[in-house]
Amino acid sequence: MDENSKPRSVLDSLGEEIVRIVTPVSICMLLVVILVSVLNNDSDSSGPSFTSIATIAYNESSSDSNWDKLKGALLNALVFVVVVTAVTFLLVLLFYFRCTKFLKYYMGFSSFLVLGFMGGEICLFLIGKFRIPIDCVTFALSLFNFTVVGVLAVFMSKTAIIITQVYLVVIGVLVAYWFTLLPEWTTWVLLVAMSLYDLAAVLLPGGPLRLLVELAISRDEDIPALVYEARPIINPDSVQRGAVVQRRVWRERRDNDIGSDENLESRSNLNSTVYSSLESRSGLESLPSISKRNVVDVEDGQVPRPDSELAAPLIQHRINVRMNLQEGPSDDFALEGIGLGLSGAIKLGLGDFIFYSVLVARAAMYDFMTVYACYLAIIAGLGITLMLLAFYQKALPALPVSVLLGVLFYLLTRLLLETFVVQCSINLLMF
Amino acid sequence: MEAAPSNPTHNIISTAPSAAISMNSSVATHRNPLRVDWPTVDGPLGLSEQESVDHARRFFKFGFLLLPWLWAVNCLYFWPVIRRPSSYYHPDLRRYVVRSAIGFTVFAVILSSWALTFSIGGERLFGHAWDKLVMYNVAEKYGLTGWI
Repeated sequence: MDENSKPRSVLDSLGEEIVRIVTPVSICMLLVVILVSVLNNDSDSSGPSFTSIATIAYNESSSDSNWDKLKGALLNALVFVVVVTAVTFLLVLLFYFRCTKFLKYYMGFSSFLVLGFMGGEICLFLIGKFRIPIDCVTFALSLFNFTVVGVLAVFMSKTAIIITQVYLVVIGVLVAYWFTLLPEWTTWVLLVAMSLYDLAAVLLPGGPLRLLVELAISRDEDIPALVYEARPIINPDSVQRGAVVQRRVWRERRDNDIGSDENLESRSNLNSTVYSSLESRSGLESLPSISKRNVVDVEDGQVPRPDSELAAPLIQHRINVRMNLQEGPSDDFALEGIGLGLSGAIKLGLGDFIFYSVLVARAAMYDFMTVYACYLAIIAGLGITLMLLAFYQKALPALPVSVLLGVLFYLLTRLLLETFVVQCSINLLMF
Repeated sequence: MEAAPSNPTHNIISTAPSAAISMNSSVATHRNPLRVDWPTVDGPLGLSEQESVDHARRFFKFGFLLLPWLWAVNCLYFWPVIRRPSSYYHPDLRRYVVRSAIGFTVFAVILSSWALTFSIGGERLFGHAWDKLVMYNVAEKYGLTGWI
């Protein structure tokens, strides 16, 4: 029957899971780099003044000295981090008072704004640049369709997983492009500041993200959030025929009817941070339910609108719990510990996507060499974070390692590698 | 689960107690409650049969609000329903999905013919109206790109 197929080793499923999370991150980065290189050719340094929450303290102009720019950027980043912290605490408060419906509607509304207005604007930029002869009726209809289906797919109801993933990546691309419109020094200092904030918010005992996750664990509920969830690997050996693959929130529940749809549906856009926590308890059916969670903080800061979307991401890992399994194989899977051997789904917060893409897009605004270096740094950082996740089995911030490595590589490339490569090429030595 | 001792050609796939069902059994004329053939393209991660009917109906009705893409997403989600022969799934489910597909095709044909006529015909066909309708001029006229 089915037993003649070779059982998948941990390495197979582990590698495939990592690929399934690295691929959308790479696609997001690629799209933002393409957008930035196509659209930003003319306005290189400071374009028209762009006011937003992130430049409220200081708006950089190209005539200031480096020291002034640095001070201004630090001020901007400080303001931004303070706003993000405040909003996250507000989110924790709302979650504490069980205003989940309000949160879901808010997230739907903000994703509507992102997809509709920002998506529309970027399309208009592209249409204007390439003089695409599309008429307004078709354009309006397509944009309307795209936006409404996006809102439905991401937070309201259940659609095909691939559609949800595509729309999440698109939202990430749009918000990341918006961030690249900030002045240069502000962007870099903001990236570093957000990684430090992420580190603090997740790991410190008083951090808002940690509070959020602990609340969610204690209530055994889903955090409404903008999270990218990689498709879990269904191990063909262990899925018994007729069994329903059900996803658990935090703890294994006795009742059979689920909840599983609700778990999947309540992935709404929300300002929450992504993190992963591990909850394990062997239950009645001798199955572990290990679920980790990512919370994404999404805020966007445009002056015309007071609400902001930002994401401070974490990595989450969620495991499917299979019911009606026969006792034999399930024990082996239960004890794999890492949980990556089970058909779990890695969840990565959308903020991770956004900030990685912002870093790479900023590097693209300088030269493509820095893009390659930063891309490698980010992927390496992501791999390290995933390994730490498997090791520590708890909520982890996904930003710090990648972003700090990325910034380091950017500086090294710009200051050292570039001169080396250019000199070698000029003298026809290499490259 | 009972074997059918009087029918030796009936394949007995498994003797495990509760959950074993023969897959794609063409001899099964009745629908087994523990269905293994998932109606959605996501397989076991997707919806169950009953929820699928509600879901398909809801998306079909919503699509009438000028949302052909929603119909297309509906068809994509229930792709196995279209692929398999008609008696395999719940009849309502198949009806809604097929109607969504028809709706999407009709809408797409109309819209694409209009869009292609507009872009290929250009000024020769429309005259002045072309400049007034094309998107980049509309965007400039109303200052739509100045938000960011």
